[in-house]
Amino acid sequence: MSRWFRAHTMQFGLAGLALGVVIVLAAAILFEPSSVAAAPQFQDGKPSDETCLACHQQEGMTAQIGGQPLPITIDGTKFHASVHGMENVACVDCHTNITGFPHPEVTASSPRDFSLEMYPACEKCHNDQYQKVLDSVHQKALASGNTNAAVCTDCHNPHTQTRLTDKATGELLLGARLAIPQTCAQCHSAIYDTYKKSVHGAALTQEGIQYVPTCIDCHGVHNIQSPTTASFRNSTPELCAKCHTNETLMKQYGISTNVLNTYVSDFHGTTVEMFEKNYPDQPTDKPVCTDCHGVHDIMRPDDPQAGIAFKENLLVKCQQCHPSATTDTFTDAWLSHYEPSPRAFPIVYYVNLFYILFIPVVLGGMLFFVLTDIYRRFKNRRSAPSTGEEHK
Amino acid sequence: MSEHTSRSYVRFPLARRIEHIVMLSTFIILGLTGLPQKFSTSPISIAFVGFIGGIENLRLIHHTAAIVMMLGTIWHILFFGYMAFVVRTRLSMLPSLQDVKDGWQALMYNIGFGKSYPQMGRYTFEEKLEYWAFVWGVIVMGTTGFIMWNPITTVHSLPGEAIPAAKTAHGWEAVLAILAIIIWHMYGVHIRRFNKSMFTGKMSEDVMLHEHPLELADIKAGLAERPVDSAALRKRQRIYIPIAAVLGLIMLGSVYGFVNLETTALTTIQRQAPTVAVFVPWTPTPAPTQTATLPPTETPLPTLTATLGTPSTEITGTPATAPAEVPSLTWDNAIGAMLTEKCAACHGAAAMAGLNLSTFADAMKGGQDGAVIVPGDAANSSIVQKQQAGGHPGQLTPEEIAQLVEWIDAGALEK
Repeated sequence: MSRWFRAHTMQFGLAGLALGVVIVLAAAILFEPSSVAAAPQFQDGKPSDETCLACHQQEGMTAQIGGQPLPITIDGTKFHASVHGMENVACVDCHTNITGFPHPEVTASSPRDFSLEMYPACEKCHNDQYQKVLDSVHQKALASGNTNAAVCTDCHNPHTQTRLTDKATGELLLGARLAIPQTCAQCHSAIYDTYKKSVHGAALTQEGIQYVPTCIDCHGVHNIQSPTTASFRNSTPELCAKCHTNETLMKQYGISTNVLNTYVSDFHGTTVEMFEKNYPDQPTDKPVCTDCHGVHDIMRPDDPQAGIAFKENLLVKCQQCHPSATTDTFTDAWLSHYEPSPRAFPIVYYVNLFYILFIPVVLGGMLFFVLTDIYRRFKNRRSAPSTGEEHK
Repeated sequence: MSEHTSRSYVRFPLARRIEHIVMLSTFIILGLTGLPQKFSTSPISIAFVGFIGGIENLRLIHHTAAIVMMLGTIWHILFFGYMAFVVRTRLSMLPSLQDVKDGWQALMYNIGFGKSYPQMGRYTFEEKLEYWAFVWGVIVMGTTGFIMWNPITTVHSLPGEAIPAAKTAHGWEAVLAILAIIIWHMYGVHIRRFNKSMFTGKMSEDVMLHEHPLELADIKAGLAERPVDSAALRKRQRIYIPIAAVLGLIMLGSVYGFVNLETTALTTIQRQAPTVAVFVPWTPTPAPTQTATLPPTETPLPTLTATLGTPSTEITGTPATAPAEVPSLTWDNAIGAMLTEKCAACHGAAAMAGLNLSTFADAMKGGQDGAVIVPGDAANSSIVQKQQAGGHPGQLTPEEIAQLVEWIDAGALEK
């Protein structure tokens, strides 16, 4: 057989070439003019997007699931403009049970139940994010029976979601950050109402400054953890420091990057820092950033109403843990993130300066005397080695 | 040599030796538990705190050692009072100009400018320096410790800034004390010659001759211990002991106050996490298509008809009447709801193929190919034909088809 094959190599080559040309031409003729936006290669004989949209593009289509309406009209234009449309993800790539018309019976008991049945389809392409979501507080709530808990499609409408991350770098597109608070607000509107009044939230939602923290910067994206745990609270200083020790970021707002250093060198910060290193998941009663600055309601320290640069406002924060502290002077026990200097907190500055000078002088003097003593004893021993009783 | 060592002198009675052990052990404990707090970011500190069982445990040990040291100090003061006012011993620890001269002479000797090392008495200038340094340390550490232990009480008489200033001083003073002990005490008492007298209580005549020659001379001359008249001694004891008892109680009370004055500074009340309403969905929940894209229409949404069972106002314009008397199938009592449930997804507002089955009137109008319901003739109604052929997206069950047939054959009544 192989000898025969070799003998006819030439003929096979020519025949193969001719066949190849025919196939390429046929493919060009068949696919080029008629190809739709949705890539047929995913569909494998299943209905194309255009087939689905022929019906589902009509306005006002509503399916009854368990007696409740589920709108099933899909805006084809929006879908094609969505990241799924752009990436040629076909309807049936997610709606895998739809092989044609008529559709199989819907088994879900309600529209919500239908969403809960559908969202695992996201895993097929978004495995990374899907796995992270499995660790999230939302998934835990869902597992405990709270069907309100967010699943993929609650934040990302698969029919309209536009691209959120840079395709090359995977980094979040700047414009995408603006939409995040509203996305979370669909369920967490009370928090959103607080956030949008905060220094961070106002900057983002009113001024469109995109570098300020939005929900995901503190809570994470897909593996959102419960923010009420001890470990979340203990890690707050590092969390805030991510931005607040970033020189280039803080320079834009004229904010000190010393906030973490000064916190850690204070009694409270020292305690939390040391505590967290050994017991990251145990609660501590010492304050972290949010205990004084707030959580979603973080204000400028010089905010005329609530700013904690004003002693009377700060005292209220102190009293949360030190209820018997009743005088404004107590607030000076906290250096307000200042490094002590002759201008700011001079007592601390000069006490420190005193020791910085005093310690070397005292110890240097002692060391000098000790060294001279050692020197003399060696000298004495050499000059009178036999008299062991030579003491001094 | 042997004749020198044959004799030894009592240098420290048992009480002083016990006092020394108490002070040295609390000093070491305070140092070990204090330095990690001063240098809190060092990995050694973190590891040590972990070994102790956490920062709170570390502080508990630190505070306990501090209390013991304070008690030791009280004892020391009362003992000093007894020796000074009752026994009227020589106040040999008091510093004097002679100590400065001795120190200078020793230094000159060491660097080769002096012929001899100074001759000193019961306490050398080195010992006095260490003692008074310790006194200074106890005062500084006690004061700054009090301020940190009782910050709220402090600010009644001092500015709030005194608290971080106290913390700064406390930490640096500790560094100074520990390094001074390592340099001065270790060298003078352990390295140069291991002086065990603080543990044995005794010092040999040989060592006395070298280190405390003036004291030795006084002892030999009988001048070291002044004769005490026992009657006078007892009289002074009767005066001193009640005073010391009162003083002692006051000082013990002060230590108790020191420790217990404030509760919130050392044991802050547990923070209550602010409660936040977590699940507050935006209302009305914006549905993706429906109302947003549909132009206002008089036709109620199919669901309303289905779930509420009210007749369409568009058709009748009359209020709903109770259908209880009507025994046969009508659009209102069964068929409308059934068709809405099964068909309205396509043949509702979307009116696929022109057919809208959400109201009786629309249903009777039919679709783009004409009427689908022929009253009285189910067999020729295309809705029945489609359904009986099977496989339609909104497929009715055989029972439902039977109902539909029965309804059409009976004239396809609205009510």
